[in-house]
Amino acid sequence: MKKHQHRFGFAATILLLVMGLALAGCGGGKSSGDSSASPSSASPSGSSSSPASSPDNGGGKSGAKTEILFWTPFSGPDGPFMKSIVDGYNQQSDRFTIKFQIQPNGDYYKLLDNAFGTKKNMPDFMIMHLDSIPTYVKKDLLLPMDDLAAKAGIQKADFADAAVNCGTIDGKWMGIPLDIHPLIMYYNKDLFQAAGIAAPPTNMQEFLDAAKKLTDASKGQWGYVMPTQWPQQFLFPSLVYQQGADLADASGKPTLNTPEAVKALEFERSLIFEHKVSPQKVAQDGEVKLFLQGKNAIQFNGPWMKDQWDKAKLNYGVAPIPVFFDQPGVFAGSHNFVVPKSQTDQAKLDGIGDFLKYVAGHSLDWAKSGQAVASKAVLASAEFQALTQQQTEVAKEFDYVHFAPPVPNWGSYTGELYNQINLVLLNNGDAKKALDEAQAKAEQAAAANK
Amino acid sequence: MKGSWKSKLTSGLFVLPYLLCFGVFLLYPLVSGLVLSLQNNDMLGTHEFVGFKNYKDIFTPGTYVHDSFVRGLWGTLKFVVYSVPVLIAVGLALALLVGALTAKARGLFRTVFFLPYAISATVMATIWMRVFDTDSGFLNLMLDRLHIHRSQHIGWFTDTPWVWIALVASTVWWTIGFNMMLFINGLNEVPEELYEAAKIDGASAWQRLIRITLPSIKNVTAVVLIMTVIASFNVFAQPNLMTRGGPGFETNVMLMKVFDVAYGQHQGGAASAMAILLGLIMMAVSAILYRLMFRKEAS
Repeated sequence: MKKHQHRFGFAATILLLVMGLALAGCGGGKSSGDSSASPSSASPSGSSSSPASSPDNGGGKSGAKTEILFWTPFSGPDGPFMKSIVDGYNQQSDRFTIKFQIQPNGDYYKLLDNAFGTKKNMPDFMIMHLDSIPTYVKKDLLLPMDDLAAKAGIQKADFADAAVNCGTIDGKWMGIPLDIHPLIMYYNKDLFQAAGIAAPPTNMQEFLDAAKKLTDASKGQWGYVMPTQWPQQFLFPSLVYQQGADLADASGKPTLNTPEAVKALEFERSLIFEHKVSPQKVAQDGEVKLFLQGKNAIQFNGPWMKDQWDKAKLNYGVAPIPVFFDQPGVFAGSHNFVVPKSQTDQAKLDGIGDFLKYVAGHSLDWAKSGQAVASKAVLASAEFQALTQQQTEVAKEFDYVHFAPPVPNWGSYTGELYNQINLVLLNNGDAKKALDEAQAKAEQAAAANK
Repeated sequence: MKGSWKSKLTSGLFVLPYLLCFGVFLLYPLVSGLVLSLQNNDMLGTHEFVGFKNYKDIFTPGTYVHDSFVRGLWGTLKFVVYSVPVLIAVGLALALLVGALTAKARGLFRTVFFLPYAISATVMATIWMRVFDTDSGFLNLMLDRLHIHRSQHIGWFTDTPWVWIALVASTVWWTIGFNMMLFINGLNEVPEELYEAAKIDGASAWQRLIRITLPSIKNVTAVVLIMTVIASFNVFAQPNLMTRGGPGFETNVMLMKVFDVAYGQHQGGAASAMAILLGLIMMAVSAILYRLMFRKEAS
């Protein structure tokens, strides 16, 4: 008997340990924020996989209200911010109840595809990344938003132009933008002060000077640790845009081996092997770990990282990406509201319109998550302008953001590109040769994509 | 012996739950996978029957799926070759070590070694990314202290052959408990008298291992081997979460490629064909291994 009790105690301890580990994994999880093209955002699975629906706020009246199912991939720290917007809406609406569901970020498009494919458990409307919209528009699965917006009194002019332009395909407005999340610069203020640098760099020369001053290899301290994988998907295109080039031409044909692309990759490589402001052989998330430890002075990443820096109590600053080449330019993603074409229930469509109109006026809660929102009214509000730690810096980049080329399945065109960039940055490889290889594979993907 | 209809019914009822589960969780998915592989299916609701076109594409050099398949198969095969011997040897070694302990310590260590098996892939990846990180990883910081490789850190996830060593090491830590348990059960079956007789005849520990233990647990070893081969062919989480297929495309394994074709390219049919070919290869390899292990007895 005693032995049994002992066993039980032991098993209980083990169980607690496992749970503790699992929780640690969740808390310490990575940039669950975002991003479309990336397999990176491995959102902590377990806990978040069960859809968290918001409690019924309608109280007694809910029976008469139309219920509308809303899917989002916000399984990271951003989830509660969207939930508070939805809760706010539900409280003031006496006609509609938005049922808010969070799907695990890493599986979001898989789940969405399954819903489209099986026509079961389809949400009434959902969040979609701007660069995924062309894929679904090509398959004729999304409802143009023009009528819905007109009826609800939502206008294109209410939102930042870049997102609206990119979300308009063949003259039809396919997604109403929530935010724009471009690459931004984070820098460690303590290290900058210790090196006697007054302001964050704004161009190539200032950046190189600062990075060199901030590097002390003997102490394991680096000016700019170059990521070799994610978030290259944001960084490399930005450097191409800054030379006035793009990764695809107007017809959607990939152009990955242009002289501008070669120059961009050679610049990245030079930071490691020539200027030596970055260590070699950096692993996935290596630059994030070093930044958290105060051993990486500058890093470029997305606005969703704010939560991690805040939790680590870093003394960091935020600024727009320096202009390394001829013109400002930065890669961005954007969360958009879209409606599946199969949605024909007029009452629900009215409800979605009503909700989106509300969001356009009340997305300040979303901005509090660190994002800069797409609604011009909120951007101009005093409350938003007070968020100077990060959000107003992000919004400065809105005038020159670029999104991924509007090509269906674009992610599969660039898989090899990031393999090749990885190899060049790890092995000091030949940039032109690598990009030629990436271009060949992208053309192959294009051929398979017809 | 002929049973009455009653006993037939009873035995039939006993099999029924298994048959149901088999049908729902194995047969149905397998058949739908086969059907899918004969379609051009965008996984978004439209599909058409295309016969064996997907298979033909896989065997046509220069196509996207061909290159994905070859690259994925190469990565997976490498992982199988590197990981299986280690998983078998370490599993057996741990079973022998645990078996040599006192009864009390045995229970503790069995649990300790089995524990990581219960951990989710995400947690496993988070732990090992902290260990193997190039500049802030525990392992390289320890090597720093020992004044090894200080000037240029080893890229455990970003350089060959280290990346394979790191992947195999984390896989061993994560899954070894299962193989160890199977081996422990096998070892328990070996009659104690054989060892006593051998000791009296003056056989060394090594001789006892080679002459008694290994032949006696051959059946268990065959099961463990085939299960490990199958598990290693199905490798996904470790490279997908930790190396992201890098350095370059070195650790791009088949299931990552299947995923990419299915959800990146929206070509469900081609992805399914890749998965079915992988399944056929796994079956062939398992059959060959089984034959090799039991060849002598058959002849």
